[in-house]
Amino acid sequence: MLQAARTLRLNIHSYSELEEVSGFVGNFNVKIRKKARYVTNDCNGCGACTEVCPAYGYDEFNEGMNSRKAIYIAFAQAVPSMAQIDMMKCIKCGLCKTTCELNAIDFDQKDEILDIKVGSIMVATGWDEYEPETGYLGYNVYPNVITQMKLERILAPNGPTIGHLARPSDGKRPERILFIQCVGSRDLNKNMYCSSGVCCMIAIKNSKLIKQHYPDSEISVAYMDIRAAGKDYEEYFTASRKEGIRYIRTNVSRIKEDSETHNLKILMQNTLSSDELREREFDMVVLSAAMVPAEGIEKIQKILKLENSQDGFFKEFHSRLNPVDTKIPGIVLAGVAQGPKSIAETIAHGRAAASSLSRMMSKDKYRILLIRAIVDKEKCAKCGLCELNCPYDAISLKPDGAEVDEILCRGCGTCLANCPSEAITLRYYREPQYEKQIDAILEEI
Amino acid sequence: MAGTIRAQYPATIRPIRINCTGRVTPSLIMRAIGRGADGVIVSG
Repeated sequence: MLQAARTLRLNIHSYSELEEVSGFVGNFNVKIRKKARYVTNDCNGCGACTEVCPAYGYDEFNEGMNSRKAIYIAFAQAVPSMAQIDMMKCIKCGLCKTTCELNAIDFDQKDEILDIKVGSIMVATGWDEYEPETGYLGYNVYPNVITQMKLERILAPNGPTIGHLARPSDGKRPERILFIQCVGSRDLNKNMYCSSGVCCMIAIKNSKLIKQHYPDSEISVAYMDIRAAGKDYEEYFTASRKEGIRYIRTNVSRIKEDSETHNLKILMQNTLSSDELREREFDMVVLSAAMVPAEGIEKIQKILKLENSQDGFFKEFHSRLNPVDTKIPGIVLAGVAQGPKSIAETIAHGRAAASSLSRMMSKDKYRILLIRAIVDKEKCAKCGLCELNCPYDAISLKPDGAEVDEILCRGCGTCLANCPSEAITLRYYREPQYEKQIDAILEEI
Repeated sequence: MAGTIRAQYPATIRPIRINCTGRVTPSLIMRAIGRGADGVIVSG
């Protein structure tokens, strides 16, 4: 990211939202809302303001497990390294303003709307972790039931415990840990899809990591199937088993908490052995939750007029033959925006998306088919039905009649089927041509 | 597809290729029925 920020002619609009997109391939007009940070670009990220700020909020970067100040830098490696104010938590005492040597704090800053012209758009909205409903496997009810993302932050050197493994209830090191796989995925009542083996590999990675730090830990993984499909993945899984991590093929039947120790009692049965249904005790339970489309994906989908797959991720041109482009020329997908992916797959997908765009953008011309709708403006009654029904937003109603954008139009013919005045025809596929075909076929009857 | 997998279907079914099912106007369907077709399947 740092390198990208230093690259000339590459503009990053962080803390911004997409508002509106119009135009077509090679000529998109994009409106971006640059949200107010209440800190101007003079900020150099020194952090003096965060030290004096007396108001606190939850640190979103650490999954809300510790606090941050109301004026804060999103996370240590944030690009650009600039402070921002959380106005919900700010008490407007002005201490930051008096402390800032660069005079970068501006309480009156407003959202800014930027109008930019771009040739193509790459959608890389990523993912969020599925949040299990309260009570499901004790989540949000028992303090020592956490999700994989929280464990990830607990293990991180810049996390809430500075990398020390500690469980939430008493801050002690959990010695017996259970990972529960497929939480919210491969489940007909939640998400049907498998998160592409990502949660399997993260559970294996984190269990190995804990075992390396504390070899006396007892780590078990309750799984349906371990999906270690990928280069070196199976070897990694086998290595973790050799290190003593236990894999229990099971469905967790019940989870109960010991109210004194906050340990968790889990009822399950290893279905791959003659083992009977029995209760085992653990100090901490980690839920490997599914990957779900990033929050706000519906808004971007509406703005870009993209389609969604059944799983809620963006729909690609073709799931096997072209998983990179979309149905709209000039808009491509990169990474988990299209569907769950591991890091290696995401990088490959992102590079494919970049090359798909550069191949198109490096040419001076963009070829289109001539099968397009044509409006006879003399017949047009300006009712606007075509504009309403066009799936590609290619028709607009002008004072002298409907007008077709030849580049946006994909020649589907929905407009002419809806036109009450029969003012629209489809080039090469006109009504009389079909009438002749129907007549010829039915002649023999 | 029906042809490439050599599926058997009655010889009285006659397909007409269109760009998109949205292109089918009621008048085309009525014309086919008016000329004696027993039914029209719009499939996409």
